[in-house]
Amino acid sequence: MSTRREIRLTVNGAEHAVTVPPRKLLADCLRDDLGLTGTHVGCEQGVCGACTILLDGEPIRSCLMFAVQAQGAELETIESLARSADDLHPVQRAFWEKHGLQCGFCTPGMVLTAKALLESTPDPSEDEIREAIAGNICRCTGYVFVVDAIKAAAEARADA
Amino acid sequence: MPEAQQPKLLGARVKRVEDPRFLTGRARYVDDIVRPRMLHAAFVRSTIAHAEITGVDSTAAAAHPGVRAVMDGRQMAERALPIVCNSLVPSWQETRYPALAADRVRFVGEAVAAVVADDRYVAEDASELVLVDYAPLPAVASIAEAIADGAPRLHDGWEDNFFVKRHFVGGDPDRAFAEAAGTLQLDLRSNRHSGIPLETRGCIAEYDDAEETLTLWTATQIPHLVRTGLADVLQMPENRIRVIAPDVGGGYGIKGHLFPEEIAVCVLAMEVGRPVKWIEDRREHLLASIHAREHEHRLEVAYTEDGTVLGLRARVYVDCGAYSVYPWTSTMDTGMALGILPGPYRIRHYECEAYSVTTNKCPLGPYRGVSRPAACFSIERAMDEVARATGLDPFEVRRRNLVRPDEFPYQSVTGLVYDSGSFHEALEEVCRQADLDGMRAEQERARAEGRLLGIGFACYTEQTAHTTNEFIKRGVPIIFGYDTATVRMDPSGKVAVYVSTHSHGQGHETTYAQIVADQLGLGLGDVKVFFGDTASAPYGHGTFASRSAVLAGGASHRAAGKVREMLVDFAAHELEADAADMELGDGEAFVRGAPGRGVKIADLARWAYHRPERLPPGMEPVIEAVASYDADPGTGTFANAAHLTLVEVDPDTGGVDLLRYAVVEDCGRMINPLVVDGQVHGGVAQGIGGALLEELVYDENAQLTTTTFLDYRLPGATDIPRISVSHLETLSPFTIEGIKGMGEGGAIAPGPALASAVEDALRPLGQVFVNELPLTPERVRRFAEQAGAAGR
Repeated sequence: MSTRREIRLTVNGAEHAVTVPPRKLLADCLRDDLGLTGTHVGCEQGVCGACTILLDGEPIRSCLMFAVQAQGAELETIESLARSADDLHPVQRAFWEKHGLQCGFCTPGMVLTAKALLESTPDPSEDEIREAIAGNICRCTGYVFVVDAIKAAAEARADA
Repeated sequence: MPEAQQPKLLGARVKRVEDPRFLTGRARYVDDIVRPRMLHAAFVRSTIAHAEITGVDSTAAAAHPGVRAVMDGRQMAERALPIVCNSLVPSWQETRYPALAADRVRFVGEAVAAVVADDRYVAEDASELVLVDYAPLPAVASIAEAIADGAPRLHDGWEDNFFVKRHFVGGDPDRAFAEAAGTLQLDLRSNRHSGIPLETRGCIAEYDDAEETLTLWTATQIPHLVRTGLADVLQMPENRIRVIAPDVGGGYGIKGHLFPEEIAVCVLAMEVGRPVKWIEDRREHLLASIHAREHEHRLEVAYTEDGTVLGLRARVYVDCGAYSVYPWTSTMDTGMALGILPGPYRIRHYECEAYSVTTNKCPLGPYRGVSRPAACFSIERAMDEVARATGLDPFEVRRRNLVRPDEFPYQSVTGLVYDSGSFHEALEEVCRQADLDGMRAEQERARAEGRLLGIGFACYTEQTAHTTNEFIKRGVPIIFGYDTATVRMDPSGKVAVYVSTHSHGQGHETTYAQIVADQLGLGLGDVKVFFGDTASAPYGHGTFASRSAVLAGGASHRAAGKVREMLVDFAAHELEADAADMELGDGEAFVRGAPGRGVKIADLARWAYHRPERLPPGMEPVIEAVASYDADPGTGTFANAAHLTLVEVDPDTGGVDLLRYAVVEDCGRMINPLVVDGQVHGGVAQGIGGALLEELVYDENAQLTTTTFLDYRLPGATDIPRISVSHLETLSPFTIEGIKGMGEGGAIAPGPALASAVEDALRPLGQVFVNELPLTPERVRRFAEQAGAAGR
């Protein structure tokens, strides 16, 4: 694949120039070219949701998009939310408090999906939460504490 | 020595210390690791289930721009031995599982060649240019085909298609069947599915020619066993191999194997003289990692009029696929089924024949619960059938047959020692917690409206932390009965714990720290747990079989106990007190009853390393200990649980809606109830997946037809109900702190509980026997039609 394109991506508020083959997936570009390895790849066909990032605030599958298609959009990955335990986003804090993660592989995608949900639906019902994360497969938690975490994050948000 | 402190952290519901790195996207899984000059591998995999390889032409692939190496099976055979994992059971027949197949392929997806290129995209392009010529052989696609007269043989020199044949007789089954008021014959089938971690397999190999050392980063549950296996097949000294398991995105048993791809990637890295990475894609994972659970059981049950099960005869077939897997062999599922089939029930007369069968399918290996989901399915369905045959309540039949509280420790008919348990209490408690009477009333109301609601039970006891004697009995070549830990205090008085188990969701960084901190009178933040690197952890086996908390937790407890003794002796020497009067707590060593008379543990640590002249005579400046733990008396410890569910079945769509799911479980003393709850939830969800959704379907040519997540359905948040969990704590008399293993348990009972519930739901249509899992919409419709036909 000899033809490569120089593109400009806006990720987590910063602009990056990268040169990629047109067929390179956005997920691979974020991981390989920008070193943002918090975005995980679980199926490469848009089913598992591990590669979920926010594009102009909406959750999308970064494995279903080529990097060259993401020019001009505002991309947000898990790395944008916090650097350490000290500055966790309320959704991250709630996942920690409620044990909403185990192996952690689905967690970045799950957290970003939850963040987007709470921005559009500040007080979701349990059914709304389950619908919202239905495209994010978690193989460890059985979703019980994930749902609890998102509820707790919604409550924390309401109290803030 | 003084008694240990009153535990402060053991048993506390503390949140996990490891979470921030996962929450912030800073965890490091194998695909997140980049090595200088790293290349990327892709595998060429067999498209045919059974064939001779008559030729491999790599010319075009090797010439493709960006390709650095192509290797086929013949070249691989010169560089690595095949995986051979032999059981010591006399009827065993051996397989040789090559890193790349050279002469013959035995399942679709078996690796036949590998391409190394500058990036993964190019490696995949070039892998399509490798031309493999096959001369097809007849494929064996099922147990029935494998055991038929004149079946094609998969392995040269075998006398039939059985890896192993086992036969057990306990008590006097003939007499039990002669004396029975009635007998039943049941045929049951659990179909193939698997653990399917969200992170696929993957590894990076790097060979240092100057140092003659090989480093393998790999997504594994068993770093030391991978190292030993690699040393054997590569014929390298083991001290020249370092295996690092970084963060691992789920395992569930599937990543507890030495894989052909790991060997191939090591060989390729040595060949090209550069680091090589391989990350499995999802299709490869579904085709060629490890499958599980494919069992066929024929059960005969002898019972009395009062619902007592007198005797059991079982014939167990397990489809183990093409090769024996390392380090388990292909005997795990049959051996386990044979041993545990009577379950938590007092069945004294039992005969079992068990056969591990080879077929042209992906190799079968351990997955959360290993065989017990199928064994529990059989015995629980038998309990329901006895209830139906005797007209008794299924709850009552179970109650009459469960091992009673006064019978522990109870030796089962197969010689297992159930150390302790709460079999009756768990069943009664789950009925109370989930309000069985209320459920029944709801079911009646729904039936009056023409809706089909059903209630299902299942009970189990799970052998956990299998210890040395248990593995000797099974005839496995490696006895995984113990595990190990190093506890090391540094000059600042902080502690590093190195363990040979690997945590990939189980929370060991928190739970082991809870154990060690209590022993040393420190806080949780003073202890850091490290694992996954064979260069730092003592030799041990890894994480599987619900063993880590008991065995590596026990080893951490013992090693910390030795460090505690050193600190106590040193403190007593400093304070001119009697060691027997010393206590550790809040970061201090002090004389009991004299709180003012103490010394900071941090000071002791500093002095031990920097002022060794202060140490008592004979004490070395090494505040460190290594310990192993293998729970006495070597029979393991048994956890137990009861599950109860209420479902609604739509006979037209075949849909099963889970209205309620309740668990009462007993894993002895809980180190951290938050982690225990999470493990139960996750196990139940995987059990529900295997009971309703997940199936690896092979066609008659042994082609896998479920190779994407569109065909292989994993449960999502809308498929799993709010699972309610409560706990009993019957301490094990055999283990440190009475801890029992529990990681797998949740996955064992959902199959039988849901089968029972679906059958109960369909009852207004007519009587059927739900004998097959998973209960996909297609099967539920079929059972509904059968029920309708039976009811007419």
